[in-house]
Amino acid sequence: MLVEFELLQKAQQGDAAAFNLVVGAYRRRILGTISRLIGRPEDVEDVGQEVFLRLYFSLGQLRTPEVFEPWLYRLTVNACYDYLRKSKRRPESRMSDLSDQQVMMADAAAGSKAQLDESERHRVRDTVNGMLAAVSPEDRILLTMKEVEGLSLKELEGIYGVNENALKVRLFRARQRVLKKLKGVTEPAPMSAKSDKAV
Amino acid sequence: MFQRNTERSTGIELDRTSEGPQGLQLDRLFRSYRDACPDPEPGVNFMPELWAKIEARETSTNLFGQMAKALVTAALAASVILGLLMSTVNQPASNFNGTYLDALMADHASGLEPLNLDRISELEQQ
Repeated sequence: MLVEFELLQKAQQGDAAAFNLVVGAYRRRILGTISRLIGRPEDVEDVGQEVFLRLYFSLGQLRTPEVFEPWLYRLTVNACYDYLRKSKRRPESRMSDLSDQQVMMADAAAGSKAQLDESERHRVRDTVNGMLAAVSPEDRILLTMKEVEGLSLKELEGIYGVNENALKVRLFRARQRVLKKLKGVTEPAPMSAKSDKAV
Repeated sequence: MFQRNTERSTGIELDRTSEGPQGLQLDRLFRSYRDACPDPEPGVNFMPELWAKIEARETSTNLFGQMAKALVTAALAASVILGLLMSTVNQPASNFNGTYLDALMADHASGLEPLNLDRISELEQQ
């Protein structure tokens, strides 16, 4: 844990300085998670403030220090989920909007991780954001937490409050849906479809 | 905060053999995405804006609480007043103990001519 429980207790009692220290300890990590979960840099701070706002008003319910971090992650996930649900109405880039070349280049960039320059990073971000925008917010968040943030199933259990097997099933299905989107772009269209179009 | 799993538990916790090369490609993309999106540095206005939002939420919560209290008090007072009014308005009707016929007779009696005995005897003589 990045802060002592005594500090959390002080923050619970309304100590603004203690709350500032708690926010200071976690904000960079939380903002990083949010940026990867929502994929919109311009809205990261807003969502981050919403997370800490919810933390401020629910801190009084915290009883044991062990649950603080899973709890903060749950607040983060919920705030991102709310944001993604609201922003669904706005036009977003979809996997189908990405060209084959973009995906190929992103994949090539993925292969040489050490030499990613800024333009390649940009392409990777666009590709993954486009791919994740094509699935539901639930799939997007779960996959990002597991595959990008690198949380274990045990940690995800603490956040989602469901057992490991249920999580495995959800993850498997979410991956299948994303793979379907990925295949749809990288694989050539079947011959019959092409001939149909030609006719 | 949770430790980031640098070994990427892919394939250890979940069976991904059925996914083939596409699964590996997806894993590489996710890994690159992590590297391409470092933790952003918060802006200088992050904390002042956060406190402004907290204060705004507190104010609106307090205002809402006060309004709710006032509304409950007003509703209680209105129900007491209405109860008192209803009990006083309905009092005469509830004190009438007669039957329906008694009530009809009472109502008709007021509309009839008063009984005149002299007039009756005159009529008998005729």
